[in-house]
Amino acid sequence: MTEQDTAASAVDPALRDRLVDSIRDLLPQVLKREVTGVTADTALMDALGLSSTTGLELVLELEERLELEISVEELGRDDFGTVGSLAEYVAGNLLTEA
Amino acid sequence: MTALVGVAAWVPPGRVAIEEPAGRLGLSGMQVKIFRRYHRLGEVARDPDGELRDLLRAALERLDALRGREHLVRYVLHARTFPTVVPYPHDPVRQVCEEFGLGHAAVFAVGHHACASGLLALDAAGRLLAADGDPEGLALVLTGEKAFTAEARLVPDTSFFGEGAAACLVAAQGERDRLLAYATELRGDFDTDDPETALEFQRVYADELASAITAAVARAGLAMEDVGVILPHNVNRVAWHQVCRTLGYPRERVVLDNVATTGHVFCADSFVNYRTAQDRGLLRQGEPYVMAAAGAGRGATFSAMAFVH
Repeated sequence: MTEQDTAASAVDPALRDRLVDSIRDLLPQVLKREVTGVTADTALMDALGLSSTTGLELVLELEERLELEISVEELGRDDFGTVGSLAEYVAGNLLTEA
Repeated sequence: MTALVGVAAWVPPGRVAIEEPAGRLGLSGMQVKIFRRYHRLGEVARDPDGELRDLLRAALERLDALRGREHLVRYVLHARTFPTVVPYPHDPVRQVCEEFGLGHAAVFAVGHHACASGLLALDAAGRLLAADGDPEGLALVLTGEKAFTAEARLVPDTSFFGEGAAACLVAAQGERDRLLAYATELRGDFDTDDPETALEFQRVYADELASAITAAVARAGLAMEDVGVILPHNVNRVAWHQVCRTLGYPRERVVLDNVATTGHVFCADSFVNYRTAQDRGLLRQGEPYVMAAAGAGRGATFSAMAFVH
């Protein structure tokens, strides 16, 4: 079992869903264009054209909106796979209580 | 096989917070926050009153291996990230060569691999010396530039440049540190302003750099677990964390000490980090290590060299 599997298995599904909603809300602001039809399975880079920089911007905007602190130490390319994988990473790497 | 007879480096004591170049270049607060929080950059080295000649001179003054061997130096190679490092008609490399008794040597610049040009210059120096067939012949590889233009201050979305220099004395063969293998991958297809290609570059960056490292290590007849340390280019911590994930190599064994305090010292990073590794006792006799760098600009280069100390 990898570190990420461990984190994922400990994630509260309700929190993950809430994060998926917040990411969906923030995407138009970060990508500076209209974004529709986004689900947890939407590919951030391949389908939406998120770059590594806009991806990081999304994570930091998420922190501000939810007033949370997220550990970015282990944040890797795979975590930006889909909206759901990013929500899962964030849910498993909160430094403050959600 | 090419050998490093001596390695010296100089990073000036001056520092500026990354907010200073970021402000001058018009970066947003969010961009600076990403550099600090995620890329773990903090300060960059600056020599506000000095010229490139001063940086190179300071590195050469620390190259003890050169003393008494000046007459044996056949070539002086200045490895550059940028083709133009001073305004015309200044020629600081030739000036320091005259000052240090190297006026007789053939002096030229090596570039086109951007920040990986330092490794290219080591390879070129070794090949030139080997072709000459003079067992006593030496070459000097100089690295270091001034962050004197907007382009030479920032690697977009990646890093800030810091000032410093290194001097490396190279022989065609010798006991230490022996170059075992060199691998470099040139990606001319990234020579475009197309945003899709820029995204693709970001996507493949870690894999390509990891692939250059594994190629050099395999050509040296080694496995990654044999590699004691990696001496990286100092672009940022997160890029190297991703390379380590791809390689399955412990990030603690990549010398990232200088990333937050010097910035990306052009082609000199691996040599600056060599000195840091030596000061920390991380280079052990008989143990292999790797120098690695990626260069981006017009196209991209991913390079790695395996050595034994």
